[in-house]
Amino acid sequence: MERNLSRRRLLKGAAIGAAGMTAFSFAGRPTWVRAQASAFDLAKAAEPYKGVSIGVPFLDRPGYRAAAEMLPEFQEITGITVNTEVMPYENSREKQVLDFTGGTGLYDVVLVDVVWIGEFAASQWITPITKFTDNPDLADPNLNLEGFFPILLESFGTWDKVVYGLPFDNYSGLLYYNKKMLADGGFDGPPQSWDSLLNEYGAKLTGNDLYAYALQSRRGETQSADSFMRMVWAFGGSLLKPETFEPNLSSPESLAGLNFRQDLLPIMPPDIVEWDHDETVQGLAQGRVGVITEWSSFYSTLADPSTSKISDDLGITIEPEGPGGRQPALGGFSYAVNSGSAEEKQAAAWLFIQWINSEEKAREYVEKGGVSGRTSVYEIPELQEQFPYFAPLVESWNKYGNPVFRPRFPEWPQMSEIIAQTGSEMMLGSVSVEDGVKQIEEQMMPLLQPYIDGEKPRLQ
Amino acid sequence: MATADYQSRSVVDAVATAPGGPLRRRVNWTPLTMLLPAVVALLLIGVYPLIYALRTSFQQFLVTKPYLGTPFVGLANYSAALGDPFFRDSLVRTGVFFLLTVPIQVVLGIAVALLLTSSRWRRLSAVTRVLLVLPIATTPTVIGLIGRLIYNRDFGLLNWAFSLIGLGPFNWLGEPKAAMITVALTDTWQWMPFVALVAMSGLTSVPPDIVEASKLETSDVWETFRNVQLPFLLPGLTAVLIIRTADILKMFDMIFVLTRGGPGVSTELVSIYVQRVGFRIFDMGLASAMAILLLILCNVLAQLYIRIFYREIEA
Repeated sequence: MERNLSRRRLLKGAAIGAAGMTAFSFAGRPTWVRAQASAFDLAKAAEPYKGVSIGVPFLDRPGYRAAAEMLPEFQEITGITVNTEVMPYENSREKQVLDFTGGTGLYDVVLVDVVWIGEFAASQWITPITKFTDNPDLADPNLNLEGFFPILLESFGTWDKVVYGLPFDNYSGLLYYNKKMLADGGFDGPPQSWDSLLNEYGAKLTGNDLYAYALQSRRGETQSADSFMRMVWAFGGSLLKPETFEPNLSSPESLAGLNFRQDLLPIMPPDIVEWDHDETVQGLAQGRVGVITEWSSFYSTLADPSTSKISDDLGITIEPEGPGGRQPALGGFSYAVNSGSAEEKQAAAWLFIQWINSEEKAREYVEKGGVSGRTSVYEIPELQEQFPYFAPLVESWNKYGNPVFRPRFPEWPQMSEIIAQTGSEMMLGSVSVEDGVKQIEEQMMPLLQPYIDGEKPRLQ
Repeated sequence: MATADYQSRSVVDAVATAPGGPLRRRVNWTPLTMLLPAVVALLLIGVYPLIYALRTSFQQFLVTKPYLGTPFVGLANYSAALGDPFFRDSLVRTGVFFLLTVPIQVVLGIAVALLLTSSRWRRLSAVTRVLLVLPIATTPTVIGLIGRLIYNRDFGLLNWAFSLIGLGPFNWLGEPKAAMITVALTDTWQWMPFVALVAMSGLTSVPPDIVEASKLETSDVWETFRNVQLPFLLPGLTAVLIIRTADILKMFDMIFVLTRGGPGVSTELVSIYVQRVGFRIFDMGLASAMAILLLILCNVLAQLYIRIFYREIEA
C-alpha cells in the first residue's frame, strides 16, 4: 500500500515536473509552434460545440464545390452543422457587410477577398486568429502557418501585421492555351511576351470567328482587376505611387499598358466588354479562343472533358512578360471568424477554418478541384504529374507574385467601381485612354487625400 | 335582413341609450380587427422603411465607417444627389428607356387586346390569357439569366437561330446602343402582355350596343376605336402608365443580371446607380436621398398622368 502511494506520488511529481518543463520550454515561442507540441483531437475539441450551427458563405466556384464534398466528414467528426450559402461574387461583399452592420448573424465564417481584408480588419468585423491559436483547446498543433505560401498568408489573411484569416481559395493568373489551335497557326508553344501575343500570334489566330486572345473585361471587379490592372502592371505602371499614395495612372508606363489593351481589341471577341470569367473560360473550352489569362482555379473546368472540348489540348504556363516584367494577377480569398458571432459559434467557425485549410486536408481539397495555399501539397510527385498547373502556379506565387496587384486598403471597393465604369468606357472608345485616366484620377483623389496628407497610415 | 342591417352599420355607431339621454358612441370592432393585420403589415413593410429612408436621407450614413456616427446633415445629401452628374445621366438614361419601351408596349398591348377580343379569337381567350400571364409571372432575375444565354454573341440561342438563315452574328449586349435596345426588347416582351390584359378588361367593359351603334354610323374602324373604345381604355392605361413609371424607376434585377449596367454605363438606369451608391459604396445617406427624389418624381408623374389621361366614363 505504502509502495503504491509512493509510486503515485512519484508519478504525480514527474507529471508536474514535465508540465513545468513543457511550459518553460515553450515560453516566448510563436503560438503555432507552441501548439505543435501538444496532441489535438478534433472530435474532442469540438465536443462543447456539438449541435452548434455555423453560417459559411460559398461562391459557385470549383474550390467551394470541393469543400462542399468534404463537409460531411467535418460534420460527422465534430457534430457541428455547417450551413453554406452559395452566393454570386458580386453580391458577397454587400451581403457580408450588411450582416456585420445589421448584426443579423448570418455568417460566422467570413469570406475575405484579398481586397477586402483592409476594410474588414480596420472595421474590426473579423477576429485575429491569436484568439484561437492561443487557446490550447482549439489550436491544432499542426496548423503550421509557415506551411502556407508567404504571399498568400500575407496578402489574403494579414492586415497591419496581424493575421485574421487562412488562405482558402487561392488564385494566380495563368496563361491557358489551346495547343492544337496554336499548332495549326504554326506555333509550337505559347507566347512569352504580351508584344508577341499581339504582333505574332494575334494575326495568325484571329479570323473566321476565332480569336487569338480573350481578356475578361465585364464591368465590375473583372474589369478593374482582371483587365485594367493586369495591363497597367505588365507595362511597368501602377495605380498609386507607393511612397506618397498619389495616383500613378497618368505615368507613361500606366498609359502604355492601357493603350496596349486597346491595341489588343482586334484580336479579341467584339463583345469582350461583356465577357466575365465564365464566358472567357468557355471561349477557350469551346475552341473559339486560342489564349486566355485566367485564374488558376479554373483549371478543373478546362481540364474536365465534360466541360471542355480542349481538355486534351490544354496548355498552361505563366503569364506573358511585358516591359514591367512578368506581373501575373494575384487574387483569392481567406476564411476568417466573424467578430460579431457568439463565442461558441466563433469557436466552431475556427475549428472549421482550421480543418478545411489544414495540411492534412490539402491533398483531398486539390484532388476534388480546389487550389490549396499549402506549399507541401505542391511537392507531391503524383499530384505534380496529375495537375500540370502546379509548376506555373508555384513559380507565379514564389517568383512573380505582386502582393499589391490591387491595393488592399478600405477604399479599394470604391476605387474599383470608378475604374470599372471608366475602364469599360475606354475599351468601348466612348472616352480616350488619356481622358479616362484623368477622370479616374480626379474621382480617386478625395479617397486618396487622407493618405497623401498622412492622416491615414499608408498601408496597402 | 340581418345582412342588410350589418352592412348599414358604420364602424362607430351613434346610439341613443335612453330617450332624452346623452348619445353614447359604440365601436364596432369586427371590421377594425379584420383590417388590422393588413394595416400592421403595411406599416411594417411599407411605411416604416419609407420613414427610415427619409430620416437617413438627412444623415451622413456611411455603413462601412460606423465610427463616424450618423450626424444630421440637413439637405447636404439632396444637394449632393442633384449635383452628381452620374445620377443625372442615369436619370436621363432611364427617361430614354421609358420612351423606348412604354409607348411600344401600350400600342402593341392594345393591338393584341383588340385582336384577342375580336370574335375570331374570343373562343381561345382562356388559353391566350394564360399565355399572356406567363412573362409577367417570370422572375426578372430568371429573365436576366435566360437573356444572357439567348443574347450571347458567340454561344447564344438567338445568333444560332439567325445563323440558320445566314445572318449575324449580332452583338446584342456588347455594344452600348444595341445593349440598350436589347434590354428594352426584353422588357417589352415581359410587360406588353400586362398592357394587353389591362386593355382586354377595358374592352370587355364597352357595352356591345354602343359598338353596334357606332358601326351603323361609320365603317371606319379607327373612328370606332378612337371615339367608342379608347375612352373605356383610358382609366386602365393611366394605371398602366403609373405602374410602369414606378417599375422602370426601380427596375434592377433583370438589367443587373443581364448587363450589370454595361457595357460602360449604357444600360445603367437610375436604380442600378442608386444600388451602387447604397450597396457598393455604402453611402446610405446619399442613396436614401436619391431614392426619396425618385419617389417624388414618381408621384409628380402620376399626378400628371391622371390630369392628362384619366377620364371617368359612364356607359
